[in-house]
Amino acid sequence: MKKKIGKYTAWIAGGLALVSALLMLRAPGQVRGLDVDGFVRLPVLEGGRLKPLDSTARNALLLIRGQQSFRHQDRTVGSGEWILDVLFRPQVADLQPIFVIDNPDVLGVMKMERTKDRYYSFRQIIPFINEIQREANAAQAIEAKLRTPYQSAVANLFERLYLYHRLKNTIQLENQQGLAAEIAGATAPGAAQRQATLADLAYFRPIPPLPGQKAEAWSNTGEALRALAMGAVNPGLDPMARIAWAYSVQDAPAFNKAVKDLQIATFGAWPEAQTHVDHETTFNRAQPFYVGMAIYVLALLMVFGSWAWKPEILRPAAFGLLCAGAIVQTAGLVSRIVLQGRPPVTNLYSSAVFVGWGAVLLGIVLERMYRNGFGTAVASASGFASLLVAHHLSGDGDTMEMMRAVLDSNFWLATHVTTITIGYSGMFLAAAIAIAWTLRKHFARVSPEISKSLLGMVYGIIAFSLFFSFVGTVLGGIWADQSWGRFWGWDPKENGALLIVLWCAIILHARWGGFARERGIMTMAIFGGVITSLSWFGVNMLGVGLHSYGFMDKAFWALSGFVGSQLLLMALAMAPRQFWKGKAARAAGDEAHPTKA
Amino acid sequence: MLTVKNPVLKVLTSLQLTIVCLVALMILVTAATLAQVGMGTAGAVNAYMRSYLVWWDVPNSQWMIPVFPGGATVGLVLMVNLIAAQLVRLEATWSKAGLWVVHLGLILFVGGEFVSGMFQVESQMAIENGQTVNFVEGRDPELVLIDVTDPAWDEVYAIRAGPLAREGSVAVPGTPVTLKIHQYAQNAQLRNRTPFDPPARATAGVGTSVTMIPVPPVTADNAVDQGAALVEPIAGGRSYGTWLVSQGLGAPQSFTHEGRTYQLAMRHRRQYLPYSVTLKKFSHDKYAGTDIPKNFSSLVHLVNPRTGENRDVLISMNQPMRYDGKAFYQASFGKGDTLSILQVVENPGWLIPYISCVLVSLGLIVHFTVSLRKSSRKREAARLAQAAQEA
Repeated sequence: MKKKIGKYTAWIAGGLALVSALLMLRAPGQVRGLDVDGFVRLPVLEGGRLKPLDSTARNALLLIRGQQSFRHQDRTVGSGEWILDVLFRPQVADLQPIFVIDNPDVLGVMKMERTKDRYYSFRQIIPFINEIQREANAAQAIEAKLRTPYQSAVANLFERLYLYHRLKNTIQLENQQGLAAEIAGATAPGAAQRQATLADLAYFRPIPPLPGQKAEAWSNTGEALRALAMGAVNPGLDPMARIAWAYSVQDAPAFNKAVKDLQIATFGAWPEAQTHVDHETTFNRAQPFYVGMAIYVLALLMVFGSWAWKPEILRPAAFGLLCAGAIVQTAGLVSRIVLQGRPPVTNLYSSAVFVGWGAVLLGIVLERMYRNGFGTAVASASGFASLLVAHHLSGDGDTMEMMRAVLDSNFWLATHVTTITIGYSGMFLAAAIAIAWTLRKHFARVSPEISKSLLGMVYGIIAFSLFFSFVGTVLGGIWADQSWGRFWGWDPKENGALLIVLWCAIILHARWGGFARERGIMTMAIFGGVITSLSWFGVNMLGVGLHSYGFMDKAFWALSGFVGSQLLLMALAMAPRQFWKGKAARAAGDEAHPTKA
Repeated sequence: MLTVKNPVLKVLTSLQLTIVCLVALMILVTAATLAQVGMGTAGAVNAYMRSYLVWWDVPNSQWMIPVFPGGATVGLVLMVNLIAAQLVRLEATWSKAGLWVVHLGLILFVGGEFVSGMFQVESQMAIENGQTVNFVEGRDPELVLIDVTDPAWDEVYAIRAGPLAREGSVAVPGTPVTLKIHQYAQNAQLRNRTPFDPPARATAGVGTSVTMIPVPPVTADNAVDQGAALVEPIAGGRSYGTWLVSQGLGAPQSFTHEGRTYQLAMRHRRQYLPYSVTLKKFSHDKYAGTDIPKNFSSLVHLVNPRTGENRDVLISMNQPMRYDGKAFYQASFGKGDTLSILQVVENPGWLIPYISCVLVSLGLIVHFTVSLRKSSRKREAARLAQAAQEA
């Protein structure tokens, strides 16, 4: 009977989580009767790939403000409405508080004090643009790694201001006659100059190629106007001009009609673009990794609850939630693979998503094997943590950026990168189990059976990670041999992978030789997580070697904090037995349980 | 399992030694990685991995103290330990078959790296659009004496860095010329002489108006040393003056002895090939509307008069041309996309890592499958026992 109730709660909890994930897909309502959704579903070429304007708008706002929407005048402004204002009503957009400025010295340049509100509008910043530009130019002359926080912040602010400036001048020039007038006077005197400026500044290319042109020959309005002056009429120009005019006067019916016309002109000629942008818009809206993160937190809380109250109901419910989270995350991963046409891991961001996914799946398998709630706990914790890391890595804009030539090999991305990343998943999961073991030992009783099964889990996962790390490392060597003619170049990232392999080998040999028992193995497993994090992110901070494309400086403190906390946990794990909770733990002291492979 | 009595053998086959070696290796790898920031990859690897001892340069003194075993020592000890343990301790049973294969693969792997370290030769081939090249160039310098008397045929005599560094007299075989090396610098800067410089040591050629300043060898991975030397050719008992030669000097300098004209030059060490490569087109594609490189490739034409081969080959990223024991990789480019630089690698052991990787992977799969089955059988038995107890 109890078992049955557990089964039902698992299905109900999982089902509810999935239903709420699906609710994210609802189409947003219209803004003041304007079909904003129809407009952001239009395809544009930006960053070397075709995407819905929705993605460009979200990423631009993320770059500038750090969020994909914001509150202004007591209502939430979404990225779609914001991009429309920027493009066609710059005088409105200029008043919106979208520039986040944290650095007090940068505020000092603007003669402002730091207040509670960290967001400033373009209008507030513009009086100081000359000072900012001068300071930014001075900062940009210095290598990124060597800049002070102030120099980085001022250079970054200037880049964001320039991005905003480019966005405003993408469809039509700010404070000039609109696009309709440009079309009418494409050959008028002075028009060529304006077309050149527009073609130069445009941030994205919304005008589809003409029939007979190559599929990637999308143009910006400046280029399309120039072509028009030469006699090539692009059917996308006229509806775009009507969109610009209708939005600037907030004429909803005319705007909606023009959007429809531009959709027909675009998708009629390029039907395959429609499937792609519809898929990507849906993906953007679903935010599967964000939703997954929320579900994992719930699952984790539920496991904690189960240790105190009604385990027969809460533990299966937590497992149901974990599975729901895994399904949502898998859907997100598959979506990305389809959209990019690439294997799952292409940059640091996607590696974080994939590491979490691997750890969650492993945790589900462990939970099915041992059924004691630990699998669920560590899986949901790892899933949550990795998605949180991914979330913080996504602030650099498009997470589906194009691959540089040297990395442009789906075969090696699918084999080397994926295997290595699965190895990372295993290392983190083993560390998570060891941490769970340590904390439980200190704060609650742990029966010898559970302790033993946790040790079994850690051993199994370390063996699993050794295999994937080794194979992944060697595959990387083979890739290097294929592209550069050297199997092993002592590149920092390669060395990091080698360290993981060596550490796994040490753990396994220490166990086989009986030099490390329960406590020792658990401590070593936690250190395995430290080594993996250093090899994953730390080597990027050295800024040398072929893998430094993932260079980042902000994460330094986060990484140091993580390493510090892990060292503390290792000390806790190594603490003598009199510090542990409960007699059961004492009875199950590690000397009593010599283990053997 | 055999019992080992001999104490030396006991240590050599012990698992403790394995772990000590693995930990030492981790420390070395970490140190070599961190040191790359200051020493460059090659410098760090030579100091920590490709050495028998790691030396500490005591500050403000001439002393060097060995502080840690180097990668070569640790690797050797690990190999001995692995082989000895394999033969003495590990049982030859089916349940240990996976481990046997893993260890065999590892021995092969390290052996392969040894072969690479000993025999791998890396060089470069730089070709401009339309140019035909029949040699590859290494990083080291060489001093060449070229007899250019016959317009159809150059006779090249090369002296490598080793004899140059000894700074003595070198008789060039096959010619009446003896080269007296007055000074040699592995890396040197050249600049136009100013009135404040000490008197020039070169007495002939462009060197009379150039000052040579020896500087420490480069450490950065993408930088190359610019060697320089002061050379005095002596032939038939007569000196032809002291010449400054360097990779930093453009035009070759020449002198004439008994009707034969000789050129003197310092250049990157060349290896001539029995075939030639012509660059037909170098392509550098970018993603639409961005500067992100999408692909680099060189379309080359290969002509080998010996075998009668005469064909086009496309070399691109991740797709090298393997020919005559050498592999040509697309490495770099320059001069506004008209110059293609190919990395040329000759490594007789290039296949070994592939084989050992397969061995180790298979071995690990076998071993972990065996242990997983064992442990799940144990768990199942425990569960049954518990169920029986509850019933």
